[in-house]
Formats: sequence, structure tokens, C-alpha cells
Amino acid sequence: MSPLDDLKTAIKSRLGELDCVIGWEQGYDQLHATPLFIRSEADLDRLVIGPLAVHNLATYLPGLRGKKVGIIVKGCDSRSVIQLLNENLITRDDLVVFGLCCSGVVSHRKIRAALPVDPGFVEAVDLSTDTLSITASGQTTILHMADIAADKCQICQYPNALIADVLVGSPQESKVLTTLACQEEFEAKSEAEKFAFWQETMSRCIRCYACRNACPMCVCRDFCISTSRDPLWLGQENTPGENMMFQLIHVSHLTGRCTECGECERACPVDIPLLLLRRYMNKQVQDVFEHRAGTALEQTPPLLTFKVEEEGIKERGW
Amino acid sequence: MNMNPYLPEMATIVETIQETHNIKTFRVVLNNEERMKNFTFRPGQVGQLSVFGVGESTFVINSSPTRMEYLQFSVMRVGEVTSKLHQLQPGDHIGVRAPLGNSFPIEALQGKNIVFIGGGIGMAPLRTLFVYMLDNRTSYKNITLLYGARSPADLTYKAELPEWISRKDVQTVLTIDNPAEGWEHQVGLIPNVLLDIAPKPKDTFAITCGPPIMIKFTLQALKKLGFEDENIITTLEKRMKCGVGICGRCNIGTKYVCLDGPVFTYAQLKELPSEL
Amino acid sequence: MKYITKKNLLRLTEELSSVYRVLAPVAQGGTVTFRRFHPGMTLDMHSRMAAVSAKMATLPQTESLLLVQRVEENKKPELTETLPQGKTLVMGARPCDARGKLLLDPVFITEKIRDQHFIHRRENSIFITLACDQPETTCFCHSVGSGPADTAGSDILLTLVGEGYVAQAISDQGQEIVTHSFFEDAQDRGQQAQAKHGHALELMGQAHDYSSAPAKILERFDDMDFWEVQSAKCISCGACTYMCPTCYCFNITDNDLGLTSQRIRTWDNCMSHTFTLEASGHNPRPTKAHRLKNRVGHKFSYYPDLYGGIMACCGCGRCIKQCPTGVDIRQIVNAAQEYAQ
Repeated sequence: MSPLDDLKTAIKSRLGELDCVIGWEQGYDQLHATPLFIRSEADLDRLVIGPLAVHNLATYLPGLRGKKVGIIVKGCDSRSVIQLLNENLITRDDLVVFGLCCSGVVSHRKIRAALPVDPGFVEAVDLSTDTLSITASGQTTILHMADIAADKCQICQYPNALIADVLVGSPQESKVLTTLACQEEFEAKSEAEKFAFWQETMSRCIRCYACRNACPMCVCRDFCISTSRDPLWLGQENTPGENMMFQLIHVSHLTGRCTECGECERACPVDIPLLLLRRYMNKQVQDVFEHRAGTALEQTPPLLTFKVEEEGIKERGW
Repeated sequence: MNMNPYLPEMATIVETIQETHNIKTFRVVLNNEERMKNFTFRPGQVGQLSVFGVGESTFVINSSPTRMEYLQFSVMRVGEVTSKLHQLQPGDHIGVRAPLGNSFPIEALQGKNIVFIGGGIGMAPLRTLFVYMLDNRTSYKNITLLYGARSPADLTYKAELPEWISRKDVQTVLTIDNPAEGWEHQVGLIPNVLLDIAPKPKDTFAITCGPPIMIKFTLQALKKLGFEDENIITTLEKRMKCGVGICGRCNIGTKYVCLDGPVFTYAQLKELPSEL
Repeated sequence: MKYITKKNLLRLTEELSSVYRVLAPVAQGGTVTFRRFHPGMTLDMHSRMAAVSAKMATLPQTESLLLVQRVEENKKPELTETLPQGKTLVMGARPCDARGKLLLDPVFITEKIRDQHFIHRRENSIFITLACDQPETTCFCHSVGSGPADTAGSDILLTLVGEGYVAQAISDQGQEIVTHSFFEDAQDRGQQAQAKHGHALELMGQAHDYSSAPAKILERFDDMDFWEVQSAKCISCGACTYMCPTCYCFNITDNDLGLTSQRIRTWDNCMSHTFTLEASGHNPRPTKAHRLKNRVGHKFSYYPDLYGGIMACCGCGRCIKQCPTGVDIRQIVNAAQEYAQ
């Protein structure tokens, strides 16, 4: 049986006790998946998994608190589930986790860049283990999965769900690579270059807050300081400065909590590379606190606790 | 009137009255004397008050068009703009965009019995019509005012209540939720007191405003008393920004409370989607 | 019919940019958005439909309504109306952008209310539109009364033929522009353009009939189970509304700058919790299900009921294509239309 069949069997056996199970189905074309809320066995027929199932479904969990919910998670998504549990934002007893062993998901942005024509008019998509064949506007192109994998997959250390009531598929190896060229390239820029980069990039931002609402850890949502008038942190004016200010607040609030699932960047309708900020912050957290959010149950995010003497922070004897 | 619907007129606060611990009444005069002299509105219409640098909020003009020395607004301190408004003193300047919205159907009410049922700050929109009717007393038959608040301290327009009570040509009934020392009027929830007074529905319009829960039970009481949906009038509140039916947040289906309202009959409300 | 080469269109755009604030599609960082065009830039007309519509030409994301100045604290403030200045030209809009613009007219210009800011921008903007060669899988303009070569709202309609464009002047202003020496006679390329239009429409397949949508959506109004299912995957962000050519809801806020303050109008988003949140804490649309109901209802029920049956949607599909979770407004409206008790 394929992992998908195993998964369907596992879900079928638990569906009766759950309000819904969150998975994926095909979206508006063959190249895109979309979240699926499985409420009946009939819905289960539409379930898909694989490299096109990009969404981190853990984002829905805080909003479903109080309901019995099943969720399908990739390795990276499972970190968000763990982090939400660690912060007591969801309840373990109300949750059934169907874990996947994931060999990576695609970046639709990379697919777009790699195709000779815009994939707006997709006619056919064919998936094999290592390739993705796309026919768009009458042209067929074969892309190698390695070239179009999401950045996070290229350095993935947790391909297999870290928390799971049911784990399907055969466990995958972590990647050897741990840093991304695009990140290093960006960080090597001078302050002035970085400033110019954000100035330019943030002028594209439309402040739609897709980054915020797609983030599984951004749980203030309806009561976000971005729309608070009292205190007033951010004006509604759409300027690169205000837009960047929001991102910096977002990153700060995710310090030690961000599981680097990449939903913020994936959700951005104008392709702002928001992970440049997240990865940088996460690196700091790892260097100073040796902490990686959502990798173990019972962790406390470093900024949600304190030690009199932090080993990683030299407060004396400089 | 200025063509730019977003441009407020400068106005000066001439008097403030602390009505309750969190309700303050502002008497306001437009700075442009000519405009003030020619300013007209109908009872029930609202205005947007601006505290510059803070924002704008919507309030009913609760003075009567029969008394145009000033425009009066009563403001409950609940949010950003209202908090700043409460800090203002006579002599301070605010912006006014008024009149906005529809109004009470004063022509249709002529020759009818009128029952006002107001709860808390909900007395504000009723006051404009009540005073208007007092000033045109002969045009209306019996007028009853049932006004309730949580406690005596929560009653607004206290300065005017003795006059309203003493008038022989209107029946004024005050009520509070729980007994209080020195209170000589009714005690009980508004809908219950309404059932006790039991106004006759024939040729009578009921005009009500107050908190949603009070409205809900008042409507039930009015129905029990036999009032037709067409003869029950209420005014609605929504978050508003533009005040002119464009910005898209105060709609109930196709109706914009700021433009098509705030005054609706119960019959009209029943036609609308239920999204209050 | 006129014809202009790609090279000359760029030169024309450069020339026009000295008279107009030109907004043109610019590819940058993997996406295409309308940006202020300056000579020396290139036009990215064909890579893909701009992520955000050209709505900002007539309804910018941030617009100053009022400037308030005081000489001293406690002194009487002076108000200055800040009406827009200058003219805007959109180069490379799509027919859906141009049609979207028209759908805002009855809202901002009524018998009672005339929105001066909108009217100024509306009267001082020119749309040079590019007919679509082929639809995207998310396009449904032909189902809402438009099409890949719809001329409504455009001043000139361009159609790519060979290494240039057939230019069809729609308005007087468009007519004036095509008299420029950069334009030559289209000759038989006019027929080629026509054929392309026909082909693009054919690729879109059968149009969907939305005429029952207004009533059917209202029928479902109180059925919150329906809206909860429809909105389950929505994350209640504002991507759909901000990219939409026809979403016009706005906020008005004051920016306090000490002795001066500015009142600004900014795009707002009906999917946000704060959109209808009242100061008392009461919210008539407390959940994403309520809010999505209003968004879909506004476009496919309230607006058509108010304005002669026309949907407040130009079928551009941006809300579907760029929704972080793939919420498909077509499916939601279909579900309401086909709902069986």
C-alpha cells in the first residue's frame, strides 16, 4: 500500500471521533493543492499528499481550539504543532496527528521562474519521484525536484514528523546542507545594501497581513498590534518604513518561537522574501540559547522564561 | 454644503455636561456663523465628530432642530476618539460633519400617539425627537416617555428630567434596574415596565433605542402589546468611517446604516439580513 | 486601427511619463506589480498578470484627505483639503483592471455624494490596456460580463501581433494618443488581432451564469454551517481584497504628527476582525465565516441588487490565484447557487 492509502486507512479509523481532519486536495489546477477539511469518508477520496501539498496546516489549529481535530503534518509542520503545544495554545487530547515522512515540497515561485512560460494556464502535471513535468500554454517542461524544492527542504533537518499518533511512509534522511546560499549572500551585504534592498522590496508590500495570518505561531491575529490605535505602534500609511516596521515586530514576536515553516513567505502575494529575516533571527536564537523552536515537547521558548545567568550571553567580564 | 464629503467644518465646544461617570454631553457651535445660522437637520440624523490627530466617530445630534443655539451630542467614553473627546473643554475646537443619514419619519408621526422607550445612552437619539415633539406639541396626540438606566447615576439628561416629569402634556416614566435609596420612580427592567404601562397600539408609534439586549426584549414586549412592525421604530449603531455609504463596514446586506439609516422600522429590519 | 512596435511603445511610454504619472507592470523579485514608470525602465507587459490590480490608479492604497495644522498647542487648527493633483496613465492594464475601475463609479459618485478624490483621479486617468492572449486557469471574466478583449474602461486597447501591438482607440483621449507618429496604420493586422480575441475567449470555455447568485446567497445568509464550511480554509487575511480590482472598502485614520496631523484614507479589508469591531467590543461579523459571507455577499448579491444586476467582480481571478490557501470564490458562489436542502 502507498503512504496515501495507509494514511486514508488511518484517517478512516479515527474520523468518527473527530470533527474534521485537515489535509490537502487538488486546488484550482493540477499544479496547486489547497487545504481540505475532511468531515466524511467521501471527502477522504479527495485527499492528496506529496510535493504539491505545501501548506502548513498547523496554522488552523489555534482557531479550532475546543474541537477534536485530526491534522496531517510534514516534518516541518510537526514542529509548529509541538511549538503550539509547548505554548499551551492547543490541547494534545483534542488532537490526532497523522505524521508524514516527507521528501520535500515544491516552491511555486521557483517553478514559475524555471518555466519558459507563465504557469497561469496549466494543462497537465505529471509527478514522478524526482521530476515534475508541467504542460502550460502548450509547452511541456520537465523540472527536477531538486531545482524546485522549497528552500527549507534543501536544508531540512526534520523530514519526518516529530510528533505523530500515526506515522506513514518510510523515514527520510536529514539534509547534509544546513545553510542556504541565498541567506549567506544576503547577510554578506553591507548595511547600506540591505537597507536599500528592504526599502525597495517593502515598497511592494500591500500590508495584507497574509504573512501574519498564514503563520502558525502568530496567534494574536484579531488583536494584533498592527491595527491597534491605542497604543499606536503602526500607522495605516502604506510606506516602506511602516511596512518594514510591521515585519520587524513580527520577527521579534517570533523570537524563539518561529519554526521556519516558511508560510509567511509562501503566503506573500507579492513574493517578499520574508524568510531572510526569520532565518537570521532563528540563527541568533540558536547561537545564544541553543534553541530550535518546536523540536521537542516541553521546551520553553527562551524569551518566555529567564535564567539569572544566561550561558550564551556574556553580561560580565567583557 | 461643501462638495467634499470628508471635509469637516470647524466647530467650537461651548458647553459640556458630565451626565454620568462615562457619558458627557457636548454643545457645539459651527465656527462659520453663516453656516450655523442656516444649518438644518431632521431629528434622528447623525454627525461625525473629529478630534484632529485622533480620529472621527459618529453620534446622533440629540438637540432638536427647533432649538438651534447649538448642536448637542452625548458621548459615552468607550474608545480612542471618545476618550479624547471627554478631555476637551469649552473653547476647544473639533470638526463636525453633519447632518448625515436618514431621520425619524416626523410627518408620518403627526397626529399619532407616541411611546418613547429609551435605555441608557439610547436616550440620546430619542431626546432629539422628544424635544422636537414638545416644541410642536399640538401636532401629536398622547406622548409617553419610558426611560430606564441601570441606576439613578446612569441616567442622562438629569437636568431636564424634572421638567419632563412635571409636564402635564406628556407621561414620563423613569425606571432603574434595582432599588436604590431615594428613588421615587419605577424599579424594573424596561420591557417589564413597558408591559405594566401597556400603551395601546392603536394609532401609536413606539420609538425605541438602547442596548441590544434591551431592544430584543422591548420588541418582544411591543409585539405582545399588539404593535405592528411598521409602527415600531428604532435606530441602529455600527462602526462607521466615511459616514456617506461608501467605505463598506456598516452595511446590513444592501443597506448602509450611515446612509439608509440609522432609523429603521421593525418591519424594515425584518426585511434585512440578520447581522446586527 | 493603428499599430505600434514594442520598441516604440516603450518610447511612447517614456514620452508620456513626462506628462503623466505612469504606472506600468514591472517584474521584480519574481513578481509583477504596477510601479511608477520612469524613462530607462522596461515594460514587463507579458510575463504575467500583475499580482496587484491597477486599482491604485483611481484608489491609491494611501491617500491624504485632510491636513490639519496648528500654530501652537490649543490654538484653533487650520484645515487644508488635500485633493489629488496631476494625471495618471496606466500602461499595460488588463481588461479586468479597466472594468474593475468602472465598477467603483456608482459607489463613489452618487446623486447625494460625490467623492472628490475619486472623481479627480477617475477623470484624470488613462488606461492603455493589453488584451489577454489566453486566460489563466483562474480567469472567469467572461462569466461576469467582460472578456479577454473587453474595451470597457480602457482608452486604448492593445493586442499583441508580431513584434508590436494593434492599437484600438476607445476614447477621445485614446484617439488623441494614437495620432502620435509612433503609430502606423495597422493594415491587415487588425484582423489578426480580432482572431486573437476570438481565440482567447474560446479558450475560456463555457461562461458560468451568475444571475441566480444574488438571491441564492441571501437564501444562505442565516445558514452559518454553510459559511463555516466555505470559509474553513480561509485564514482571514487581506490578500484577496487588496489585490482585487473591485474591492474598494477603506479606512480613515488620523496620523498625529504633533502640531500637524493628517487624515488619511487607506485600503481596508473586510476580512479583518477590526473592520466592523465596535468600540463597545460588539462585532457584527465576529468570525471569518461572517466576514467571508459579507465579502462574497457584497460582490455577488448586495452590489448587483443595488446596481442593476452587475456583479462587483471582474473575474480576474487574483483572489483565487494568490490566496495563500487557495480559497476559490467561484466555488463558494457555485455552492450557494447549487445548494440543495
